[in-house]
Amino acid sequence: MDLSKLTNEKKLSLCRGYFRTGFALLPFVWAVNAIWFFNEAFRKPEYEEQKQLKKYVIYSAIGAAIWSVVLTTWIVIFQVNRDNWGEFADRISFIIPLGS
Amino acid sequence: MMIFAKNGLILLILKLVLNSCNGDRIKDRMYIDVKASTSCFRRFNATHQVGCSSQRGGANGVIHFCTKESDLHFILKNGTAGPYVPIVPASLLTEKSVKLLKLSPKVSGLVVYPNNETLNSFTHDLKCPNENFAVPNTCGKNEITWNPRGTGLLFQDIGFPVFFIDLYEDVTSVKECFQKFNNFSYDTQRDRALCSIQLNSFMYGAKNTPTCIRRSNIATNLNPMRVCDPLGSKNVWASLFPLATYNNETEEVKPILGQKYIVVASRSDAASLFDRTVGAESPITGLVTLLAVAKILKQLLPQNKNYTTNVLFILFNGESFDYLGSQRIVYDMERGNFPVETENGTSVFLPVIKAKDITLFIELSQLSRGDGHVFIHRYKLDRWNTRFTDLLKINSHSSLTLATSDGTLPPSSVHTFIRKYQNLSTLVLANHEREYSNRFYNSIFDNSTNINFRYFNRSDELVPIDSIQYHLVAIANTISKSIYQEVTGVRYEDGDVDLFELVNELLYCFLEDQNCKLHQVVGKIPQKQQDQPLNLYVGVDGNTNDAVTLIGFILGWLTGDIVGESNQNCTNISKNYAFRFYNMSVDMAHLNVTKCFRMVMNFTDAVSPAFIIEGYDWSSNLYSSWSESTWGDMNARLFLKPSAAQESMVMAVGSISIIFSFLIVYFIKSRSDILFCPTATQPSPVDC
Repeated sequence: MDLSKLTNEKKLSLCRGYFRTGFALLPFVWAVNAIWFFNEAFRKPEYEEQKQLKKYVIYSAIGAAIWSVVLTTWIVIFQVNRDNWGEFADRISFIIPLGS
Repeated sequence: MMIFAKNGLILLILKLVLNSCNGDRIKDRMYIDVKASTSCFRRFNATHQVGCSSQRGGANGVIHFCTKESDLHFILKNGTAGPYVPIVPASLLTEKSVKLLKLSPKVSGLVVYPNNETLNSFTHDLKCPNENFAVPNTCGKNEITWNPRGTGLLFQDIGFPVFFIDLYEDVTSVKECFQKFNNFSYDTQRDRALCSIQLNSFMYGAKNTPTCIRRSNIATNLNPMRVCDPLGSKNVWASLFPLATYNNETEEVKPILGQKYIVVASRSDAASLFDRTVGAESPITGLVTLLAVAKILKQLLPQNKNYTTNVLFILFNGESFDYLGSQRIVYDMERGNFPVETENGTSVFLPVIKAKDITLFIELSQLSRGDGHVFIHRYKLDRWNTRFTDLLKINSHSSLTLATSDGTLPPSSVHTFIRKYQNLSTLVLANHEREYSNRFYNSIFDNSTNINFRYFNRSDELVPIDSIQYHLVAIANTISKSIYQEVTGVRYEDGDVDLFELVNELLYCFLEDQNCKLHQVVGKIPQKQQDQPLNLYVGVDGNTNDAVTLIGFILGWLTGDIVGESNQNCTNISKNYAFRFYNMSVDMAHLNVTKCFRMVMNFTDAVSPAFIIEGYDWSSNLYSSWSESTWGDMNARLFLKPSAAQESMVMAVGSISIIFSFLIVYFIKSRSDILFCPTATQPSPVDC
């Protein structure tokens, strides 16, 4: 989708839609939102809806950042301790690596 | 028209040319397979993993051909190219050198080849085999160490792949490759192409039996896969006299109750660090003696003349791995499930045999000739085994020296029984008193040479008195006559039964050529006919090896009765657990003359109770818990590894070209309006 062909109003509603969708435990949607609308929010000459758009972009970026920190921490903890946790770790795994 | 014909001709020629090419891929052509190789693999018990595994895809290493220990030290110290795979003679596969290799970061695997000179010893079982499931204080104390040369490597987590190459040609090709590329100016090894080997034996399972059994059964796993299987096979039992009466007319079968039993037992499995076993001394000497005893007793006592004692032959399987076969039989006996599984402890076909019905338990352990000594190990003296020892001495063959050893108990199935029933009267016959005379216990070198076996063609050769055949026949006669006297109460006065032919043929069958007369006699030719020893490794549950079936049927044949002419009806006669009917040859000399045999022989599961008890507590350590990892490929292949400089060069050229390609694409795109003529673009039909 080419953002340059959208009206500002449409952009805002699109950005808002992405932001809201992200609450359904979809951090990647927030990350996409933040990157995609970054130029619109910060590098375009000012327009009426920009203030709101900026807000959504920043919030999406923060949300995505928190998610990535939480996920990274969990993945590190899990990978380090998978072996020690024994049965519990196997039960919460979808794929158990062979030979370890 | 002309053009089409011309093109067609060209295509045809092209097709012919292409057809003559074969599709060898470059990635396959850069390797030379080392075919005659066998690998060490991974096993688990309740708490540990033992054995070897490579990483996924195989372990690569520069080969270093060693002939003596100093070669090994040399490469660990001076090698510049690493990682290495030392190629060592069997004599160097010791606890010490494996420890050294484990600690070295320069080693990624190990290859073992057979020694040129005679080996001193090669046994990787423990110094006290099966110690954790043995009667306490029977090993390691009072100067008794049964397997003093044992390295224990079979029960160590080695951590890198170990392969064994047994074909001389393969060893030579490895050596040639090493001489040509590696064996000069070690300082500059890094700078040139080197002969390397890839060892692939990646094991799927990890950690211990409870973990891998659990992982094999997890339902939420997206990629469900068996990562290990319990070790297991079949135990074999047969009785001298039928355990039931059979009415030929009504086909009615009734169990004979209230009998006492003399058990003659032996183990039927061997183990090895590698995926191949032989087991000449242990278990074949004992096993063949047992079969000979069965044959002699059948000849001396063809019918049950109201004797109160019967003889039960039992072959335990998986005994090398914490006595799993005998543990299962004891477990079954306790629950009234021996010799056949019952609902409430009684069977309509067979008497239920319990430990209290056994008056005497005789186990035949390693029995090769040595100096002619046979030791009678009596763990506890009692009325029964004292009397039987006297009988053995009375009936002893002149070539044997019988000696008693009281209070000692070598590794044997007896341990399992005594742990449960302290008062059982037992005897273990073996050629050793305090330590094995067998220097190759549970290894690939426990072969026919180890017991000095030579196959005789009797018609044209005289049998030397010091042959293994002669020795085993002498022991079998001694035991059989003693059992005869025990059962009948009368001494057997006639001479020895000449069983040379049978023992000769049995040993030949098990040790040298599977496609032998005895297998034809019982009509159980192995699926793969090979002129190599039977594989006696217990294997995994649900995949009974050929050896057990063959041995079982030979035992059944030796103790069976001919009930009629051979025909199709034979195998259709009443199918039940008490009797089995098969068409078999009458003897080895007349393979084509078959009769209908009635056998009182059957198989029982030899799988540790740990795997059948629901909710078994693995930490209880009550039963053997060995399982074997599964694996995909297992192979070794040679290749030429380029020098480090060349490897980096290829990497660099690749990286540079990919960066350039990105740059070029970027420039072309950004200057596309100059490079390509602008075309009139249609307005987009939609607004995005």
